[in-house]
Amino acid sequence: MDDRLRETLSAMMDDEADELSVRRLLSHEDQAGIRAQWQRWQGIHDLMHRGQSPADGVDVSMAVRAELDGCARSQAPDKSPVHEVSRRWQWPAVAMVAVALVVGFGAGAGWESGEVSPDALASAPVAELPGAEAVSSVVAGEDAPVQEVALQGLDDEQWEYMSRYLLEHAQHNSVGAGQGSMGYARLVSANGGY
Amino acid sequence: MNHQKLVSAGKLAMKPERTGISSMAPDNDQKQAEQPDSQTDLQLVRKVRNGERAAFDLLVVKYQSRVASIISRYVYDSQEVMDLTQETFIKAYRAIDRFRGDSAFYTWLYRIAVNTAKNHLESRNRRPQGSADSAEAENFDDGRRLRDIASPESLLQRDQLQVELSNAIAGLPEELRSAFLLREYDGLSYEDIARILECPIGTVRSRIFRARDAVDRHLGPLLNHSVT
Repeated sequence: MDDRLRETLSAMMDDEADELSVRRLLSHEDQAGIRAQWQRWQGIHDLMHRGQSPADGVDVSMAVRAELDGCARSQAPDKSPVHEVSRRWQWPAVAMVAVALVVGFGAGAGWESGEVSPDALASAPVAELPGAEAVSSVVAGEDAPVQEVALQGLDDEQWEYMSRYLLEHAQHNSVGAGQGSMGYARLVSANGGY
Repeated sequence: MNHQKLVSAGKLAMKPERTGISSMAPDNDQKQAEQPDSQTDLQLVRKVRNGERAAFDLLVVKYQSRVASIISRYVYDSQEVMDLTQETFIKAYRAIDRFRGDSAFYTWLYRIAVNTAKNHLESRNRRPQGSADSAEAENFDDGRRLRDIASPESLLQRDQLQVELSNAIAGLPEELRSAFLLREYDGLSYEDIARILECPIGTVRSRIFRARDAVDRHLGPLLNHSVT
């Protein structure tokens, strides 16, 4: 356990840790180390405030853990009706988000390319540009002229610059705000669905 | 042990005019440091409800000695105290979805502990030997009964720990000691401490952590021997 996590644990002792830090701490793999550190600091706190020391011999934490481990499957915490109702909506909501993501990827990655008519491809003058056939395939079913205008007149150098820009944009998104899928979708839509 | 004793023993070289520590009174210290409405508790309860058992472990460690103290007001046998303390936490875990947050988590736990102890006595056809109201939950001296039933060996060890604790605190660099004591004995928030010490909140947080860590390392062998 590194000092940053231990500092979070110390802030938790003082009710000064934020939700995200607590989540990070509880998802850390060394839970035994966290528990031991917490227990020692609580011992110091008890000694300072109540003149009560760990030497007084109250430690049921392991027994409680063992007991709950033993019957975790059969006797999980009681579920009140309110929570049951709220959880009933959890899985459909998750499913809806997943479907929306898949559809988004599909639109970006050119799943509709198989349906592109040869006429549409033939009428696209951007086909002469490097990688332009993929661009055409993506937009052929929608509004091909707009795409043509957007990429018309790009030479090799400009196309390379654009590709690099899109790649950086995608990387930035995936590292940054967790919206990398959108950046990636944009990239493949321009680069041809790979 | 309280902060006034530490100061009067000449072990702390604080700057009272700067830290405001000289105005502290032990009774207020106790109440301020024991804020019942704990943000950490609520965070941990939410995690437990989401199925994170590790969060419940932290709540058990935090409150086990206090729950044992409550129960020891009703039951004098130390093994029974331990069993009922364990039972209290298991009941709390199973009922945690019914904790609505109207009261502090500790008050809710306190009621479970009292009921568990009373039920235990009734099941054995014994009248409760003591009484406790949930309104007392935040105020009563929960260490006294445990101290009464402690063995001579553990009493000796506790005295030794207290001496070492005061040595550890006295040995802290002043900036760490000030932040640590303002938090522990005055119960001030990090924001208030930052204002008093005229430094950023992040610095306060770091200083308190380093102070706690230093005290822990100083007491290390004794604590490790005590904590099973």
